[in-house]
Amino acid sequence: MQNLLTYLIFTPVIAALLGLFISAEAKKIFRLLTFVVSAIQLLIILLIVGNITPQSGSFQLMEKYNWFSIDLGNWGILKAEYLLGLDGLGFSMVVLSVLVMLIAGISSWTIDKNVKGYFILLWILNGAIIGTFCALDFLLFYLFFEFMLLPMYFLIGIWGGPKREYASIKFLLYTLLGSILILIVLIALVISVQAPESGDTVVHTFSLLHMSDPANFIIGSILNPDDAWVIGSQTARWWAFLLLFIGFAIKLPAVPLHTWLPDAHVEAPTPISVILAALLLKVGAYGLLRIAYPIFPDAAMELSSVVAFVGVLSIIYAALNALAAKDLKRLIAYSSVSHMGFVLLGLASLTVEGISGAVYQMFSHGLISAMLFLIAGVLYDRTHDRLINNYSGLASKMPVFFVFVLIAFFASLGLPGFSGFIAELMVLLGALASGSTNELISEGFAFAAAFGLILGAAYYLWTLQRMFFGPFHVKNGIRTELLTDLDRREFGMLISLALVILIFGIFPQVLLDYINPFAKNFSDTLTESIRLIQNP
Amino acid sequence: MANLSTSEILLGLVLTLPLISAIVSFLIPARYGWVSSLTAPVLLLVCTILSFILFFTSEALHVTASWFSIGTTEINFSLLLDAASRLMILVVSTVSFLVHLYSTGYMGYDTKITRYFGMLGLFTFSMMGIVLASQLILTFVFWELMGFSSYMLIGHWMEKPAAAKAAQKAFLFNRIGDAFMLIGILITWIHPAGSPDTFWQTTGVLCIFAGVVGKSAQLPLSFWLPDAMEGPTPVSALLHAATMVAAGVFLLIRINPLLTDTALTVIAITGISTALFGAVSALNQFDIKKILAYSTLSQLGLMITAIGIGAKDAALLHLFTHAFFKAGLFLAAGSVIHALSHQLNDQKKSDVQDIRNLGGLRKKLPVTFIVFCIAGASLAGLPMLSGFLSKDSILTAAWNLSIPSAQFIFTGLILIVSFVTVLYTFRLIRFVFFGNESQTTVHESPWVMRIPMIVCAVASGWFIVSVNPIHVSGWFANSFTGAETSLIASGLSAVTVLVAFIAGVLFYWRQPSPQSNSILQNSFGIDSFYQRTIGLAIVRLASAAEATDKRVLDGFLHFIAYTQVSVAHGIAWFDRYIVDGIVDTGARLVKSAGSLTRSFQGGRIQLYIFWAVAGLIIFLFFVLI
Repeated sequence: MQNLLTYLIFTPVIAALLGLFISAEAKKIFRLLTFVVSAIQLLIILLIVGNITPQSGSFQLMEKYNWFSIDLGNWGILKAEYLLGLDGLGFSMVVLSVLVMLIAGISSWTIDKNVKGYFILLWILNGAIIGTFCALDFLLFYLFFEFMLLPMYFLIGIWGGPKREYASIKFLLYTLLGSILILIVLIALVISVQAPESGDTVVHTFSLLHMSDPANFIIGSILNPDDAWVIGSQTARWWAFLLLFIGFAIKLPAVPLHTWLPDAHVEAPTPISVILAALLLKVGAYGLLRIAYPIFPDAAMELSSVVAFVGVLSIIYAALNALAAKDLKRLIAYSSVSHMGFVLLGLASLTVEGISGAVYQMFSHGLISAMLFLIAGVLYDRTHDRLINNYSGLASKMPVFFVFVLIAFFASLGLPGFSGFIAELMVLLGALASGSTNELISEGFAFAAAFGLILGAAYYLWTLQRMFFGPFHVKNGIRTELLTDLDRREFGMLISLALVILIFGIFPQVLLDYINPFAKNFSDTLTESIRLIQNP
Repeated sequence: MANLSTSEILLGLVLTLPLISAIVSFLIPARYGWVSSLTAPVLLLVCTILSFILFFTSEALHVTASWFSIGTTEINFSLLLDAASRLMILVVSTVSFLVHLYSTGYMGYDTKITRYFGMLGLFTFSMMGIVLASQLILTFVFWELMGFSSYMLIGHWMEKPAAAKAAQKAFLFNRIGDAFMLIGILITWIHPAGSPDTFWQTTGVLCIFAGVVGKSAQLPLSFWLPDAMEGPTPVSALLHAATMVAAGVFLLIRINPLLTDTALTVIAITGISTALFGAVSALNQFDIKKILAYSTLSQLGLMITAIGIGAKDAALLHLFTHAFFKAGLFLAAGSVIHALSHQLNDQKKSDVQDIRNLGGLRKKLPVTFIVFCIAGASLAGLPMLSGFLSKDSILTAAWNLSIPSAQFIFTGLILIVSFVTVLYTFRLIRFVFFGNESQTTVHESPWVMRIPMIVCAVASGWFIVSVNPIHVSGWFANSFTGAETSLIASGLSAVTVLVAFIAGVLFYWRQPSPQSNSILQNSFGIDSFYQRTIGLAIVRLASAAEATDKRVLDGFLHFIAYTQVSVAHGIAWFDRYIVDGIVDTGARLVKSAGSLTRSFQGGRIQLYIFWAVAGLIIFLFFVLI
């Protein structure tokens, strides 16, 4: 089985090209086609599962083609490759992407305005996201990374709510700022790194695999670990890590760079919110795991307390904001920020448990947040009103919906049996173990994060009490006959997500088989790199 | 799977039957809700029978299966059946079955009956899990599940705002403890018993104890328990007797080897303060269920004290006896409420649970009355009953403490608690069953409710513990717990109970209606103090965070954006008027110069002659001068 990853990335892109030739009136064809795209992708995922060995911590299903190679005379050769591959991290993210894209596609059936444009953008987004998770060449990664932004900008800006223009421009500018910071480091890296196969002429490469090996840095170059340039009071490597961290933290998002997220979520249509929360946020965490940490392990280690602090700050600060939120979707958006804080905490610990937990949290939060945003969408589709205080006693009016709300809320607040618990357990274990093993972060961070668990329960239960318990009544002129229980499509989406969340909560080993070797390998390689850098 | 022994299969069934019952109930459509009130009790009956078989036949069992592994750490799904858990599964399944049976009568006309039985099954399943789990992470899993199912059960009548609030409070108070407990479990895992780091061991164990404080409603996290009385009464019976609050005590028994000296001291002090606090509060309540709730607080405090002073067997014994007599008391209280609720609604009397509205029910509800008296007497610690023996064993442990000051303090305080216990039990029985009859048409509850009550009353006798009615000895106590009683303690205890009984008669018999101290009734105002301080602080913090987001972060962002736009406007102005201005001025200069020179060549002969003459004059001027 060759080129499986290429097929996975370009199936939706081909669909987008096909879509150009389909009449805009044929809404049903577009809805069907998105289903076909997801079906093909699921099939490819099955083939990937069959062709991958989970125990190996290294990259598999590699695809390597020359992209371009420019001879720049004395400076050397600039070489970019079409380099794809999957390890445990990439695998879990790709599986998540395909699942979420399927759900988002079904959820998109309610879109009625300019269906053609919508689905074409959705497919481009699909390909770009999966491409980001597969690319092992920094330039290719960056290309896919940027390709996600534009479809997203239009999807929010055209199909969004009343304040969509403000939200979409905020989203675009914020993420562009992040991209520029990443681009700066990209340029510095390509100047500093040479491919190991280069002989007399230096071959400057974009390959992330080469960049992650401290031996490949050119002596005297700006980011060379042995004698990195000093800028201000810190080394250039320290600054490069910081820029990458800020760039990806915007995407994650981490407090205080998160304010684009609640606005984007509140204005985005339901399926786009689902993709945004479930996948785009993961790209930020993925970037840290794939790029920032492996290339700059020394700086990462030095800054691990900062990373942990930002993580814990996100957990608590966003939870407090969720507690104060009056709009259901805003609450869920803040809960996303809070949960992504756990990813940072796990990452900062640099223990196997913490890294595993961070990846598991990315996967689990992808599923749970998808479910949460679908739930907000169910209500919004009916009444166009998401204000928590306008509802009361919905449990008796929409009993089936209420069951799913319970599942989603309790899964999100970390009830055992659902996937979120496993992730938070591992992250906390990693954060606590760090204090007595590699001594990177103090145990206090874990205690503070546990406080976030309490706040998480508080905002969800308070929402339940206000919206679903008590006697039924609605305010603000909402017509009660609009509040019908779930239809079959909504039921189908919610029950499949609930089951998946339950399965990964009860049988975590299914996924951990892939994540654990990655985490082990990641942690070992980083420790080895740090040792190499400190004692060359 | 092939070579499982019979005991292992039985163990698996005992654990999962309540879960199966829950799933069956959830799957039954609402229209056929009555089916669940058949399936659930029957499945639980099977579970109870199996646990009896397991109890009498099985040896100690340890079943382990790998659940998942994190990095190098393996997390197992492992069940342990030892003396303590064998005793507990018996109690849990029996009480749960009785409550299921009772519920078919009590909740008979409830529209959400499937959800009720489903959650009751899940609740029982989680307690079974806690009892059987032999790894702390697994315990925590069931622990949280129990929190969830208790949330749903307490809030069963969720249309009632008070019930919704009580459920939320219960879950949040539990969650505070649980968050610490999770951290504690992880700490004890990283620093296992025997590792040199005692600081982390003590911290870890105390964090776990925080979870126990939440679940077993010890100070300072007690206040959810009285509010939890908003749930249906059978739920209260289950929650107070064999499950939920008992889970905390049982967990402490399980982790007993981990407890360090510092931890034990903290545990003992927490326990005895809660015991005193609960007893005094119970004496000052009017709500029949709240009296029992505070009584549970107090009794749990005694068990925790017992663990703190190193007598885990006494704690287990008291947990065992308490399960039956407290279940009996709650079921009897439920019977009173059930019998009166219709009638009092008609008369628009305020509250059927308020003992000020009750009285003289002993003739109308004879079975309930007798059950209440026997179970109450067991609670009060009257000889010949199980409560006497188990309380004695705790007292004996206190009496046998090696440090004299601790010996006298703990013995004294436990005796005071016993004294107050007799008083509040007497007060309760006096005002509910004696005195003036205020109700006219009251009927005893149906048989499905009467049988569980009677079983609980019978199980309050001494014989379930020991063959000797005033001294722990014989079949039960010795083989399942190491609890023992001494004659001195028994004597002290008996005298206290007697004095308290006389004091109760003298004080309460003449009183026409129950009295209370409002400060004590409202638990010293601690609960409202929490709301005014911590609750308010969190709300303030939340709105501060919201304001920071809107004003500071977004404000900064907007400021940058406006600055940038303003600068852009400035540059646009500069571009238009300065840069363009210079270019335009240059162009205008060239243009005017051009038009000036062009004007020389107007195409008219007069002009040419004029310029020629003028030029000539200027030339001459230069040359001549």
